[in-house]
Parts: sequence; C-alpha cells; structure tokens
Amino acid sequence: MVSVRKDGHLAGRNRLRLVSFGFILFFASISAQLGYLTLWQDRPEKTAVEYSERVPRPDIVDRNGVVLATDVPVFSLYADPRKILDVDEAVELLTATVSGFDAKSLRQKLVQPNRAFVWLKREVSPAEREAIHNLGIPGIGFRVETKRVYPMGRLAAHVLGYVDLDSKGIAGIEKFLDDQGALYTASLAEDDTRARPAVLSIDMRVQHALADELAKGIAKFRAKAGGAIVLDVKSGEVLGLVSLPDFNPNQENKNFTFDQANRMTSGVFELGSVIKAVSFAMALDYGTADLTSRFDARAPLVIGRAVIHDFQPTRRILSLPEVFTNSSNIGTARMVLGVDVARHQAFLRRVGLMDRLVTELPENAKPILPKRWGRLVQATVAFGHGFAVQPLQGAQVVAGLLNDGNMLPVTFLKRDRADAKPLAHRVIKSATSEKLRYLFRLNGLEGSARKANANAPGYRIGGKTGTAEKVVNGRYDKSKNLTVFTGAFPMEDPQYVVMVLMDEPQATPETYGFSTSGWNAVPTAGNIIARIGPLLGIEPVLTEEERKTLAKQAEKEGRT
Amino acid sequence: MLRAFNACLVLAVLAAAYVLYSLEHSIRGVERQIARSNAAIASEKETIGLLNAEWSSLVRPERLQRLAEQHLKLKRISPDQFVKINELATRIPAEPPVKLEEDGKDAIGDILKAME
Repeated sequence: MVSVRKDGHLAGRNRLRLVSFGFILFFASISAQLGYLTLWQDRPEKTAVEYSERVPRPDIVDRNGVVLATDVPVFSLYADPRKILDVDEAVELLTATVSGFDAKSLRQKLVQPNRAFVWLKREVSPAEREAIHNLGIPGIGFRVETKRVYPMGRLAAHVLGYVDLDSKGIAGIEKFLDDQGALYTASLAEDDTRARPAVLSIDMRVQHALADELAKGIAKFRAKAGGAIVLDVKSGEVLGLVSLPDFNPNQENKNFTFDQANRMTSGVFELGSVIKAVSFAMALDYGTADLTSRFDARAPLVIGRAVIHDFQPTRRILSLPEVFTNSSNIGTARMVLGVDVARHQAFLRRVGLMDRLVTELPENAKPILPKRWGRLVQATVAFGHGFAVQPLQGAQVVAGLLNDGNMLPVTFLKRDRADAKPLAHRVIKSATSEKLRYLFRLNGLEGSARKANANAPGYRIGGKTGTAEKVVNGRYDKSKNLTVFTGAFPMEDPQYVVMVLMDEPQATPETYGFSTSGWNAVPTAGNIIARIGPLLGIEPVLTEEERKTLAKQAEKEGRT
Repeated sequence: MLRAFNACLVLAVLAAAYVLYSLEHSIRGVERQIARSNAAIASEKETIGLLNAEWSSLVRPERLQRLAEQHLKLKRISPDQFVKINELATRIPAEPPVKLEEDGKDAIGDILKAME
C-alpha cells in the first residue's frame, strides 16, 4: 500500500476496482450457494411432523385378517354456555330434534355462564349430528372422539380383553399392547392416522366352532361352566380359546363378574388328564417303567393312613397300557413311586408345571403345588390331586409331549411353524413321545376317549380323560366333578391339541347316570374336532367299519 | 450501450418476476390440492376402517351360521364325502342328483326368489 500514498488518483481507481471485485465475488458466491441449495439439494420428505390429536391404537385382527378390534370415530355434542344467546330457544330446538334429552337437566347445563365447556351427549349418531348441525345454534359444537369396538362381540373376548373409557387396555391382548409401551405401538404405526394391526394366532372359524360346540355341550350336560382350547402342536399357536360364561367387550360398563373371567389362564384346576399323561411320560422317559410293566390294582393302595382308590375299580393286575386306558389311580401311583421325589420334581419342573405360565395374556395364575413332598404326595400328584395348574399350561405340556418331546412356548400372536422350531426345548426323548402317542391313540380307540372318535370318524383322535372331584370347603366332594379331555389329532403325526373342560356336568339318562369325562367332555371334543378338522385341512381317513356306519347314517337321513 | 444493456436487464427482471410469481401461484394451487387429497385420503381411510368393522360384524360366524340354518338346506360335510382327486372318476353318479337346467327351470334362481 506504499504506492497508493504516492499517487492518490490511481489509488482511488484501484480501490474502486478492489471493492467492486469484492462485491462481485460476494454476490457470485451467494448465487452459487443459492443455485446449489435450490437445484442440487434433496428436499426433505416432510418439513414438520403433523400434529394429530388422536393417538392411533392398532387394530387387532385374527390370523386370516378378520378385524376383531378397531377404533371408530364418534361425535360427541358439547356446549359453551357463555356463547349461547337464547337458552330457551336452544333447549326447545334440541329436545325437539334429538330424542333422549331431558329439558330440565339440559337447561341446568346451559345456564352456567361461568363454564366454558359442558358435554351434552356422548356418541351422537351421524343422522342426529346432521340434524343438530342444521339447527345452527351458536355455542354448540361437536368433538371427534374414538371409540374401541369389537365387531365380533363375545367371540374371543377373553383373548382380546377390553379398554377403558380413555382407550387404555386393561385386559387381554389390549393390555398386552399397552404394556409393550409406546415404542411397540409406534413400531406398528403405519402413519399418524391408522396403525398396522396386531395379528393374533386365533382363527375365528375355529374359535366359533369351539364356542358353539362347547355351549351345546354345557347346555346338554347342564354344566356350570366350561372351557376349550385348540393348540397348533407344531408352532405353539393358540388357534382358539373359549371360556364360558363369557362377556361382551362392547358393553358400556365393564364390571364383569369373577365367573366371567378367563378360566383357561386365570384359573388353576386339578387336570387329571394332563398330569397322568405327564406321569406316564416321566416313568417311560426315566426308564423306570416300560410298555410291558405290570401294576397291581387288585386292592386300594395304602400309604400311611391314606388310601388311594380307583374311580372304576378293575380289581386285577394291569399292564401299563391298561393303567392308561382304565385311568387307574392305583396303577399310576405305583408307577410314579418307582421314581424318587427329587427326580419327580425335576421332571415336573422341566415340563414347566412348577412355574407360572406367562403368555401375552396378562391374566395368568400361579400353579398350586403341594408344600411338603413325601411318598403320599408323590402318589397323589401322579394323578393330579393337590396339583393345580392353568388349563392352557396343561395343553402346552401335552402338545410338547406328543410333538416328539419338543415343547414350544404357547403364543397368542401369529407365528410361523418354521420360526417356532428354534424356540422348542426337548422335554422327553423322541422314543418316549412315540410310546405316549401309542398310549393316547389306544385310549382313543379302546379306552375312555372312544366317544371322541365316534363323533369325529376319520380324524384319528387320541387323548386322555380326567375327572377330578372338586374341593368344596377343603374336602373333595364326590358329587361335584371337573371333567377334562386332552387330546390330539391326527395321532400318527399330531398337528392339533384339543382340550375341553367342564365344570360340574350332570349325569343324563343318555349317559346312564355317569358324569365322568368320557361321557361329557370327550363327546364334546369329538363334535369340536368333526367341525374344525375340515377347516384345518386334516384329511379324514376312514376304516371300513366307519365307512359302513356313515353310509348307514346317510341312508337314514336320505342323503344321496 | 449501457442504457440498452440496462433496459435489457429491467426486461429480464420483469420477465423473471412474472415467471417466479406464476410459478409460486401454481405451486400454491398444487399445495392446496395436496392438502385436499391428504384430507380425502384420511377420510377414505377412516371409511375403510368403518367398513372393515362393519364387514367383520356381518361375517360373524355365529350370524352366518344362523342365516345358513334359516335359508339354506346345507348340511355339514361328512368325512366320507372327502374324495381324492384320482378317485373322483369312480364317484361320479350316473344321474346328476340335482338337475339345474331342467327344461328352462332355474334351481338357484328359485332359491333366491324364495329367500326374497
């Protein structure tokens, strides 16, 4: 800058050039940046998240996509008393247009000049909304609210559960969805208006067949209550779960009685059928008994001061399959006494009967177990006395025992058979499972579960029955039974487990005065399988004899 | 020369302003259209949800069973009615059990009429 001082004129021109050069550079860089930002920069997808007043709650659908629970918008009528000019006119117009308004209480609501908001009517029908809108009363408006509806009504209500007035899940899968937290709900959300549905493992067709046949069975045998489960053996999915009496989740006030609770998971029962099957599995798996073992059932078994009787005494020496088909308490107790207490407990723990079964359903009961284990307890536990578990838990164990010994955790959410494989855990040897399948099928052909196959010819049912006397005031009451059937079909490669439970079924002339499982729970299970077998794609295979009986029946009904 | 250049620049500015404003105007129109479409989509989705719920309450198995028992003379399939495809030929009856188009009669149409 020394030269600038020497020649002022030249210095001025240079300065001008410098400044204009600076300006040009400045503007050029701005335009370049502008051009770059507008032309080459990707526009952000969304500038801001749109605010949505309604929190989307995912729909619940069954395995075939049928909607079981969804949100519908409803309009509710409110008023701003400060803005209402003529209360008399408003009251007159509203009572004339909408039914169900009481003029007196309506006036009381509207004459509150210091209130800014008062509900007039919740859930206005679209027609009423239109009519009220056309009245044009100032200070009256509508708010959109969402209401949870269950289009299927009572069907699968125990699985679905219900929500409270604020759309918060308080039972069943609805509660499960809430307990998963906002993150889980958000992961289901597709956009901010509707969420992706939660897909259940339930098949509504199976569910209905279960509910329908069980209700018929309960009516026929005048039982107090009942329940039924269908499990997919290979995936651990619950295809149907019914507990009667049930409830309607659409009901306005949800003060349901204890009797309406889900007895298949929130109740525990002495499931003779399941526990006996487990006892056989244990003895066969430990090798303390095999199919040729024989047990003395000539006299009641005496342990200390207690005596174990058979329900229908055989009074002879029974082979192991005979103990199974005759459901002999004495034989089962003798067989289990061949295993020591520690190993007995270890086996029960391995199949999960000692612990609470936890599924997606929040309603689950802890098993009731004997406190002190001696030889007597061991003998009674062998056939289920004093050992109460959730029915669903029992179904899970039987499914595991028959599924080559691979037990799968049960689920109420849809799961692929392929995805289920790694979840399995082995509880018994494959060879033991084969022997059990033989025993189950034998019992279905010749034993107490005969009537299931008679009602569902061709579906190769095998199963175990159980009849437990109910505990009334701390004692077993001989006149009050709880009957259970746990079976599977088709027996050569079990695909589905069916469990039917009846609470206090009565004897009818048709059952020759019997009220044990084989006379009520078993035929009901047969009716269920006859209906769900075709739905589940199981091909019936008939023996010559069954074909003849069916042809005779068809002739009687005049079918061509 | 400078004046002509300036006049050109002024014209260019006017032209650019015109293009810019017309562009912005059309963009506003498009944005309004988008907002309208979004609202329409939301309301359609709501309607779909409602219709799905209604459909699901109409296909309630318990309702279908009641209707079928009332209006149809169908029976539950019996296990001996399942036939393998290669055994089908042996099971075809000589005479069709129901003659659908017998001399101008319309069996299905009659059922529908009876239902009405």
